Formats: sequence, structure tokens, C-alpha cells
Amino acid sequence: MVSYLPVSLNEALEYRGAGGAIPYGGGTDLMIKGDKDAAYIFLHKVPEMRGIIEDDKYIRIGACCTFTEVAGNPLCPAILREAALQIAAPAIRNLGTIGGNIGNGSPKADSAPVFFAAGAKLRLMSLRAERIIPIKEFYLGRNKLSLEPDELIVEVLMPKHVSSRYYYRKVGAREALAISRVSFAGLMDIKEGRVMHCAVSFGAVSDVIIRRDDIDAMLTGKTVSEAKAVKQAYLNAYNTAITPIRGRVSEKYRKAVCMNLLGDFLAAMGI
Amino acid sequence: MIREVVFNLNGETAVWNGGPAARLLDALRDGFRNTGVKCGCREGECGACAVILDGMLVNSCMVAMGRAGGSEVMTIEGYKKTERFAALDKSFASVSAVQCGFCTPGMVLAAECLLRENPRPDEGEIRAGISGNLCRCTGYNAIVKAISSAAKDGEGLW
Repeated sequence: MVSYLPVSLNEALEYRGAGGAIPYGGGTDLMIKGDKDAAYIFLHKVPEMRGIIEDDKYIRIGACCTFTEVAGNPLCPAILREAALQIAAPAIRNLGTIGGNIGNGSPKADSAPVFFAAGAKLRLMSLRAERIIPIKEFYLGRNKLSLEPDELIVEVLMPKHVSSRYYYRKVGAREALAISRVSFAGLMDIKEGRVMHCAVSFGAVSDVIIRRDDIDAMLTGKTVSEAKAVKQAYLNAYNTAITPIRGRVSEKYRKAVCMNLLGDFLAAMGI
Repeated sequence: MIREVVFNLNGETAVWNGGPAARLLDALRDGFRNTGVKCGCREGECGACAVILDGMLVNSCMVAMGRAGGSEVMTIEGYKKTERFAALDKSFASVSAVQCGFCTPGMVLAAECLLRENPRPDEGEIRAGISGNLCRCTGYNAIVKAISSAAKDGEGLW
């Protein structure tokens, strides 16, 4: 099998379009299997996938940016930088990329809950076309992605002005290098005593990241005291909505951790 | 199309013809006989195979050779010729931070990468710096102490 080292996005898309070779971001998921006969498209020299830039609508993060680069870049929202810094350990963060984290398709991807909570979009490209889709539409099911065989994830588009009031936690067997049992990202904007925006997401719990705008809308527009009054109903709604899948830890444990994190998030935000 | 992989290994040009999907770990150990690079887990969990790739600490089991092309790779074999190694060597020995030695090359290179960024780390920063390197003999306290004393005694080296 033949591997490629493109130095431009167009070249990378040509190889991707030709089929057969696996896009290689940082390799930290692919190399666990480490098939020595695999064919890869090594993407680390594609400049269009390496930058972190700001335009009028988004902070655009190249899919091949590593977690170390994301954690150290002040353009990236604080919640994303914190999540990046909590991933694995330095030697993995120096290689692992956000595009790979998403493209691997796992609901345990530690960056994914942040992208869901922040309402990030993905820029997907092929030689045929370009698509920009909300991250929620990218994950179709367990290891099922809305990604055509000739498409590459080129950028993650983070909305500007992501709330600086955030809460990010992941729970694993140990702090470094452990697969998350539950990960949680929460954002809440409160202006003049009123909840302007609330978004939470749960990772590693179900086949895809759990993000429910309809439930979060229960708090939006409420004053802090009104939000406190509906807090229990809000918690109950998530208690019904979260149905953990069986995994390395029990559903009951996962559910309890989710609800504890959600309660802690609200408390931290003063609700 | 990648045919051969040319990279710099410890200051010298190295050519790899064993395929771009091979692990850097295997190429270093079996191809270039840099056996100071240890194989612990092959899944990025233990840090025993850590090397420095273009100035960054990486686990060599997690790097395909095609990713290493054109890069500078430093293993413990190359690092041991440096003055900084001498400082770490001395401090690891002085506090008995080595027992079986299997994690030591990775620990030393993790320490180098930490001290390069942060020449006077506190204890928490040292623990974060070696958080991807497992030791199953001494426990971590002696290693943390060794890195801390290398930072002090090696004043000006980093």
C-alpha cells in the first residue's frame, strides 16, 4: 500500500479522492493498531490544516493543530484550552490533533463535548465540494460520521465570543492518560442577573455526545432566581434524557457522575 | 508517494526503507539499534519509548515513520552526549531515582523537555511533565526530587 505526504490542501484532497489511504493527523489513535501495511495520508505538512486564525465569524482551528498548540493559543476559547491541556499527557498532546480526535468518531473524544457545547462547525472538503456543518450533524452514531470517503476535516470553526464562564470536567481512573468515563462541558452566560445562554454536553456516555438545546432552553432568558426555581425540572429532564450505554463502567455509575457534574456546573454558575 | 523516509537521528542522516507505516519505535530499536528506546505498551500509555521529535516529547510507538520524515529525532543515545544529560544523570543517581531502569530513558527525556520550557519547575509542574511516564519500581518521589535537584544544580544549563 502507498502512503502520501501532501504539502498543500489540494494535493491532500487528490490523494483522499483517489481512495484507499487513511488520513493521518497525529497518529495517536491510528498507531494503537499500528498496522505496518496501512496506507496513510500524512497531513501535518498541509498549511491549510495547521493554522489557528480569526475571521469575522469564527476562530478557525486547522484540523491538524495539536492539543499542545490549541492549549497554548490565546485565540482559542478558555474552555477548549483547558480541555486540551487535560488530554492524556505531554507526549500525546504534542502529536494528537483535534481533527483526529473528531474524525476517530469516538464519543469518548475529550475535545468533542467542548465543540458540542460551543456549537462549533466543521469545514469538510473534497475536490468536489466544501461543506460546513454543525458538529452535531457530523456524528451520526457510534463510529458513524457524516464524512464522505473523499472528504477531509479541514477546520473546526469555533464561534467567536464563547462564554468565558465555563465548566469542564472529565472523570477517569486517573488524571493522566486515562480514557474518560464521563466528560462534561458547560457554558453559561449571565448578564444583569439573567441567563442569556446555557449549553451543556456529556461525552463518553452514549454513542454520540449528548447535547440537548431543548432542555437547556428551560434556563435561557430566566433570571437567576427563576432559573433556580426550574433547576429541579431541568435536572429531571436530563435525568430522563441521559441513557448511558454499557461500557467499562456501569450505566448506573455513569448516570450518577453525569448528574453530579450537571449539579456542580449549575452550582458553580450560581444557579 | 513516500518511498523511503529520510530523517535526522541524533545529528546524523538516517534512511529508513521499512515502509512509512512502521512505528518509529520499531525503526529506532530494530533498524537503528537505539535500544535505549524501550517498548512498554505500544499504545502510548507508558512513556518508556519517549523520544524528542523536532524538540517535542513524543511516544515513538505513536509515530509512523512517514510522520518522522524530514524531522530531527533525538533518543537517549544522542542525548547522553550532552551536558544537560550529565546533570540529570548525576541527580538521578544521587537520589536513587533509578531501580530497574526501564522507564529511565523516557523519564530523562521528559525531564529535558520540561526543563527546556520551564527551567525552575515546582513539584506540581514536574509531576505534570512526567505524567505520561510510568514507573513501577521507585515510585515517583525520587524521580521528582532528581529533576528538581538537576534544575537547581544545573543552573544555567536550561
